[in-house]
Amino acid sequence: MLKSHLNFTLLEECRKCGACYEVCPSCIALPGYDPRAVIKDILEGSYEKWLESKHIWQCLECHHCLEMCYQHYGFEDAMTAMRTIATKKGLYPPQIKRGWAMFEKTGRLGEPSKPGRKKYGLPEPAKSGGDEIKKLLAILKNDTSGEKADKG
Amino acid sequence: MKEFAVFWGCTIQARFPFLEKSSRLVFEAFKLPYRDVNGFTCCPEKSLINNVDPKAFAVTAARNVSVVDGLGVDLVSPCTGCVSNLATVKEDLLHNPGEKAEVNNLLKEVDKEFTGEANLFHLVPFFHDQVGKNIIQRKIKKTFAGMKVAIHYGCHMIRPSHALKNDDPMDPVKFDDLIRWLGAESLGHRTKMMCCGQGLDRVDQHENALHLAREKLVELKKIEADALIVCCPSCFQQFDNNQFLMIREGEKIYTPVIYFTELLGLALGLSPEELGMGGHRVDVGPFLKKWKEQLDKAGPSEVIDTELNVPGALA
Ligand code: SF4
Ligand code: SF4
Repeated sequence: MLKSHLNFTLLEECRKCGACYEVCPSCIALPGYDPRAVIKDILEGSYEKWLESKHIWQCLECHHCLEMCYQHYGFEDAMTAMRTIATKKGLYPPQIKRGWAMFEKTGRLGEPSKPGRKKYGLPEPAKSGGDEIKKLLAILKNDTSGEKADKG
Repeated sequence: MKEFAVFWGCTIQARFPFLEKSSRLVFEAFKLPYRDVNGFTCCPEKSLINNVDPKAFAVTAARNVSVVDGLGVDLVSPCTGCVSNLATVKEDLLHNPGEKAEVNNLLKEVDKEFTGEANLFHLVPFFHDQVGKNIIQRKIKKTFAGMKVAIHYGCHMIRPSHALKNDDPMDPVKFDDLIRWLGAESLGHRTKMMCCGQGLDRVDQHENALHLAREKLVELKKIEADALIVCCPSCFQQFDNNQFLMIREGEKIYTPVIYFTELLGLALGLSPEELGMGGHRVDVGPFLKKWKEQLDKAGPSEVIDTELNVPGALA
């Protein structure tokens, strides 16, 4: 499963390097957050334990690692892959679930505040493209259930 | 200047309508050719949508870009996350014809096509590069001379740089330039380029979010910054709302947080009330008070100087 998300050749180099640990804000500020350990476990095939860990959600996607990485890769890619797999297994923070539900329903994460617009004399908000998103998400959903059915 | 659509994003319109207000006022003051267009959705927010479904992430962003592509206008947003996400997908698709074809195949279902022709700008680099120093300085009526502020770029204003291509990703200068053009001093500080940490609030790790905010706010107190200047609704939420919560719990921090559009609006002579600055949680009063004292001290000549100091001012 992980191989389709991650380039193991680049990750192998990553294991030997570790340079971006020094600029990663979460590594600096949050005890226990260490993508190097996750990458080691990914390469050794024992990453399962991280899926339930709060640490994989502590990557801030700040892209510091990506920018300084000589491979233009990054700790971030490993953490994103772990989160995508965790999410597929239903292991995610409640807010992610709520946010996704809202997005599926409206194509947005929040609707323009009506009282706020009135208070500040703002014009009617432009029309959202939410209906088109709903349509596209439905097509994507059918596509993936089709894939699953093929495999099964 | 080419016409542009404003991409407000979910957060500003849902939570911080006063930031929309100040942005509109500065667009108007500079007579910029901005438009509200129908059809935008969530950019989408990367940490949320991309984690759940990378395909939905790409299609949603491409669809938003296709809205401006189709109208033949550019896009400007006062939100860093929105521009960063849209630009990341745009860059990906422009470099992967296969993926682009796949996305366009889907977009056909809603009569859209992604071409990637539209320029995508965040408001800060847009003001720096497209509006420019001369026009800005010619327009401003009051300077911030004597005010010392800290700038927080926000990660997604400048990164990922392969997609945004607008400044040095690790040592940017444009936001600093703008602040100096307005007459303020931009303070150097250790946490200047640190991520705000608001993302942690979105994954139910509130204490950690506060921890990251505190790192910066403690330093800002120490270096006696008159304000923290941001131009991202996430960073604003982190430093205004979360700071408010920490102060309420008795923490000894205090730095007013000012949105770039508000600072610019003030320099243009707009009042804090017009700009909607009463919507902040952390009181901006002391910043405004000190500024007034500086202006009174400087007298009117300072204002005239900046107006005369630009090429062509006397023509
Ligand atoms: S993107 Fe994630 S892993 Fe990379 S530096 Fe930022 S917080 Fe650290
Ligand atoms: S992401 Fe790049 S810089 Fe960071 S440890 Fe891996 S190879 Fe080194």
